[in-house]
Amino acid sequence: MVKGDMYLAQASDEEILKQGESGGAVTALLKFALDSGVVDAVLGVKKRDGNNRYDAVLDLITDPEKVIDCAGSLHCVSLNIARNVKEYLGGAKQMKIAVLCKPCDARAIIEIAKRKQINRDNLLLIGLNCTGTLPPVVAKEMLISEYEVDPNEVVMEDIEGGELIVTLADGTKIAKDLLELEKKGYGRRDNCRRCNVSIPTLADIACGKWGVKEGEKKTFTEVCSDKGAEFIDNAIKTGVIKVEPPGEDAIEERKRKDREAIELSNKCEAEDLKELREISLDDRLAYWLHMFDRCIKCFSCRDACPICYCKKCFLEPDRGYVKGGEVPPDRMFHLTRLAHDGDSCVNCGQCQDACPAEIPLTRLYLMLNIKLSPMFDYVSGMDVEQKPPLIAAKDEEASIDDIDIFLVKGEAGEVVPQQ
Amino acid sequence: MGEEVKGEFEPRIIGFTCNWCTYAAADLAGTARMKYPPNIRLIRQMCSGRVDPLFVLKVFLRGADGVFIGGCHPGECHYMTGNLSARRRYSMMKKLLESVGIDPKRLRMEWISASEGIKFSDTVKEFTAQIKGLGPGPFRHIETEGKEQK
Repeated sequence: MVKGDMYLAQASDEEILKQGESGGAVTALLKFALDSGVVDAVLGVKKRDGNNRYDAVLDLITDPEKVIDCAGSLHCVSLNIARNVKEYLGGAKQMKIAVLCKPCDARAIIEIAKRKQINRDNLLLIGLNCTGTLPPVVAKEMLISEYEVDPNEVVMEDIEGGELIVTLADGTKIAKDLLELEKKGYGRRDNCRRCNVSIPTLADIACGKWGVKEGEKKTFTEVCSDKGAEFIDNAIKTGVIKVEPPGEDAIEERKRKDREAIELSNKCEAEDLKELREISLDDRLAYWLHMFDRCIKCFSCRDACPICYCKKCFLEPDRGYVKGGEVPPDRMFHLTRLAHDGDSCVNCGQCQDACPAEIPLTRLYLMLNIKLSPMFDYVSGMDVEQKPPLIAAKDEEASIDDIDIFLVKGEAGEVVPQQ
Repeated sequence: MGEEVKGEFEPRIIGFTCNWCTYAAADLAGTARMKYPPNIRLIRQMCSGRVDPLFVLKVFLRGADGVFIGGCHPGECHYMTGNLSARRRYSMMKKLLESVGIDPKRLRMEWISASEGIKFSDTVKEFTAQIKGLGPGPFRHIETEGKEQK
């Protein structure tokens, strides 16, 4: 088995097959990882109290029998997995962990690993396809007012083909147009609207149900690294999962759905940032200063951001950039974070989720990141070997005298139309 | 700004200059009695790579109308690659300023070696004229406190 191979996988174990959402392949693989000693622990997400779909907790599982608690996907929760691995699991420097992650979590983990605060070698990243998550409170409201169902009756949510499909305990499915819902202020989290990475091919294994026929209980699995290949090989040998090669049509179907998701995200991005892009510089500055002045300096964005890497934070008063005891804080507060993280932002939305003043931070970061990414030929969180762009000066640059090699020709002086 | 003539806008430009090149070029321009506008205040750095993006931001927020960064030509850095990093940061800063709504034209970088006194004075003349055209910076009205922030 090599990198790039694809399979339709299914758990062999009857119990897991029943509990898992798409054939239980992920659960079976995690259980196998613990059983075989490939990892010391599994970091999964489980419903709080075992039944609350709208609140979840991270669980570090060492007992293979308990892995099944994490079966099934949750769309109304977006936990800060990367930051937790870094802060509370010592950056996985002491133990080997299999981490279940969405694309943004995996990208964040890779960005931290570049900064040597997580040991990527000790992690087995099991990526799960994701087309967006919903904020839990808003999701509940939406289910009551738009879907007219009891949120506790819901057993599954799914975002497919531009629709949000909710499945109830009795098997009824209700589908509504996602963009329509979002116009009313429901739907996905703000950043998820504009996310264009749905298949986490940057993890070791990417699992999802795109490409699986309706009603079939199987997981489409793509092997994305050598480590993932070895792991899947062993899992198949032991017989914990049954695999079959996907047909051409299945691969095509998966690609098509991925393309559709990217198109949708591009559309949302253009829509969301249109106004900010079009207004004059002065208005834009006024807008952001107004937003920054809503800040109550709770430091939540800094504490939530997986990319924030300084050991001794520049926002602390003794660093001399942001005065202590001032609310709203000096504008340097947000600009410092932007300067530090803008080039590596993975659009995970944790800062905005954490912000009590509801500052649309992800829009600011995305706006900058979209410009920097083609400039430095760098997509954050994709390749652990690629250094962050600001410190990755190449030798050949020493022979180029042009100041504006990264800026589009003529752009440096003409970025803004003359008044 | 005591020297300002009332009514006419005199830009306040901060120049971060590398000790090994642009600072020496400024010195050369001075000893050669070349004329250039007094609007630029130089802050000597040991390398253009020392210019943290936060310096630029802080300077703008404290009321500067323009920021100039001077470094050695690529391949001539005293510390091998300091200026290459500086160029990457400068490119990032241009986009950052644009994203938050500060005119990126207020930031300028130039390679000026120690022998290029003329280039230094020309650059300062040109940049000062450009900033004059752009008008006062967005935070010009803010009075600097004149004391170390703690």
